[in-house]
Amino acid sequence: MVTITEAARDKVLEILKDGDRKGVGLRVAITGRGRGPGGFGYELELIEEAERAPDDLVVDAGGFKLIVDAVSAPKLEGAVVDYVEDSTDSGFKIENPNSFFEEPAAAAVQKVLDEQINPAVADHGGFVVLLDVKDDTAYIQLGGGCQGCGMANVTLKQGVEVMIQRAVPEIKHVIDSTDHASGTNPFYQPAKGGGASPLA
Amino acid sequence: MKRILLLMTTSSYRAQAFLEAAERVGVAAVVGSEREQALASANPGGNLTLDFADPEASARRVAAFAADRPLDAVLAADDDGVPLAAWAAAALGLRHPSPDSVRAARSKRVFRDRLATAGLPSPRYLEVGLDEDPVVLAHRAFYPCVLKPLSLSASRGVIRADDERSFVAAFRRIHALLARLTDASGVPDSSRSILVEEYLPGREIALEGLVTDGCLRTLAVFDKPDPLEGPYFEETIYVTPSRLPGNVQEAAQEQVQAALAAIGLATGPVHAELRVNERGVFALEIAPRSIGGLCSRALRFDGDASLEELILRHAVGDDVRRIERERAASGVMMLPIPGAGVLRGVRGRDEALRIAGIEDVRVTIPVGQHVEPLPEGSRYLGFVFARAQTPELVEGALRAAHGRLLFDIEPEAAGLSAATAGA
Repeated sequence: MVTITEAARDKVLEILKDGDRKGVGLRVAITGRGRGPGGFGYELELIEEAERAPDDLVVDAGGFKLIVDAVSAPKLEGAVVDYVEDSTDSGFKIENPNSFFEEPAAAAVQKVLDEQINPAVADHGGFVVLLDVKDDTAYIQLGGGCQGCGMANVTLKQGVEVMIQRAVPEIKHVIDSTDHASGTNPFYQPAKGGGASPLA
Repeated sequence: MKRILLLMTTSSYRAQAFLEAAERVGVAAVVGSEREQALASANPGGNLTLDFADPEASARRVAAFAADRPLDAVLAADDDGVPLAAWAAAALGLRHPSPDSVRAARSKRVFRDRLATAGLPSPRYLEVGLDEDPVVLAHRAFYPCVLKPLSLSASRGVIRADDERSFVAAFRRIHALLARLTDASGVPDSSRSILVEEYLPGREIALEGLVTDGCLRTLAVFDKPDPLEGPYFEETIYVTPSRLPGNVQEAAQEQVQAALAAIGLATGPVHAELRVNERGVFALEIAPRSIGGLCSRALRFDGDASLEELILRHAVGDDVRRIERERAASGVMMLPIPGAGVLRGVRGRDEALRIAGIEDVRVTIPVGQHVEPLPEGSRYLGFVFARAQTPELVEGALRAAHGRLLFDIEPEAAGLSAATAGA
C-alpha cells in the first residue's frame, strides 16, 4: 500500500486549510513511462470526493483521504509520498520500490538512475531516462540541463556509463538517444576560445 | 590500456569528439575541467577539477593524481587548456610543447616578437595600454591597421581602423567590451593591452598540422574564400584542399615550420592562420592545438578516422605519419550571427540538408538565447559541413545551404522580430 510521510501529510493539510477545502483527497496514479522513480510518470492531485473513480482505493491519511488509482496500485505497492523542502527546491516526492521494467537488468539500471545518477544530475537541472535495455545495451535519453549540454558526453562517458556498468556488469554499452539539438536550456554551453561556460 | 588526461573547459565544443576518439583509439580518458562534472564524485578516476588560470599549481594536482593513476599523455582540447597541459606534461616528463613555447604561441605580442627576432615576415606592430589616450595613440599608429585585444581570441574584439577617427572608435569599443567582460567575471583583466598591427591585405588560409620532434606534418591546408578585410574579421568558410598554387602552399608550410622553430614549438597539434599576398606568406597566428569549434568534423582520415583520433594516437606515441586525409574535398561554414537579439527560431534546415554535398547543419545556440555578432560576440550560431569531389563544389554547397537558412532574431531593444536570411 502507499504510505504518506508526516511532512507530506502536514503539507496537504496546510494546502487544504489555506484553500478552505473540505472533502478533498490526494489522488496518486501512475500515468505510464516517465522520468520519475522506477521509470514511471506520476500524477499527484487534490480531487473532490465525487471526482474519484469507483474502483479507486481509499485510505484515511489522517485529516484527508489518500486515493490510489486502482490500475496503478500494484505498481505503487510500498511507495511513499513525501514532501521535501530545502533552500533551492520544494515539492512532493514519490519513492517507489517498483520498476516499470520487468526484466532484471533493466530494473537494475533504472535503480541506478533513481538512486545515484538522477539525484546528482538534478543539481545541473538535468535528468536521465532509461528508454530500454536490449541484450547488453542500455538506451537512455538525457533531459533538462543535460539536453544539449556541451559536457553531456562527459557526463555520459565519465559518469553514467561507468556507474551503470559498475552496478550492472552485463551492460556493455550505453547509447545516448537524446536529440541534443532540441535542448533549450543546456547547463554548459560552448563558446569560442574556451573559458568557463556561461551557465544556463 | 594507456591513459590520457584531456583538458577541456565547460565551454568546449570538442568534448564529444575527443571522448569518442578516445573510445575508438582504445585509451582511457580522464577529463580535466575547470568546474566539477555532474557525476565526478562517482568516478574520481575519470574526472579532475582543475584551476586552468593557475597552471603551475594545477600541474601539481595532476602530478598527484598521476601518482596513483599513471598518465601516458596530457592534451588540451581547446586553447584555454594548453598552458596547463604544458605545465602538467612537463611535471610528469611527458611529451608536450614546452610552457615557454605555449606562452609564445598564445601571446599575440610575444609571437610577433619571436617572429621578428627570427627575421620572419611579420606585420608592423605596437602594443598599447587600455589606459592610454586613444586620440594620442591614433597619431602614432600606422594605417590601415588592426586593433587586437591581447586577452581575447578567435577574432573577438578585433577591429580594423583606416584612419585616426576609426582608430579612436575601435579603441573605445574594445575598451567597453573588456570592461564588460571584467565586470561579468568580477576579476580584473590582467592583460588590458591592445596590439596594433599593420593591416595585411591578401587572402587568408589556414593550416592544420601535427608536429613531431620539431618537424611539421601538414594534414590540411584550408582556403578561406570569404574576404577578411574588416572592419571585423568573422571566420566563415574553410575548404580543403586549397586551390592555391602548389608553390604558395609550400611557402605557407615553410613559414609555419620556421615560425614553429622561432617559438620553440616542437610537438603536438598546431592550427595556423596565414595571410598570402604579393609580399609573401605571413603567419598571423599559430595555435598549439587543433582547429576550433566543430570544424574538425570537416577532416576525415584513412579508415574514417577523425582528427581527434589522429591527435590522440600521436599524443600516446603511435606512428601516424602514414595516415592521410581522405581524397574528397570538404569544408565547413561557421554560421555568422547576423544581428544581436534573442534567437527565436531557425528555418530552412531541411532545405539546406537537401543540397548536394551538405552533410550536416548544426545550430549550436539554443532557441531563446541571446546572440551577439562580432566583434563583441563569443559564440558561433552553428556549423554547416559539406563534402564533394572538388573544393568548388564544396564551397558552392556551403553557400547554397547558408542561403536556405533563416534565423529569426528578435532585437531586444526594439522588441521586433525579423527573419534574417543566411545569405
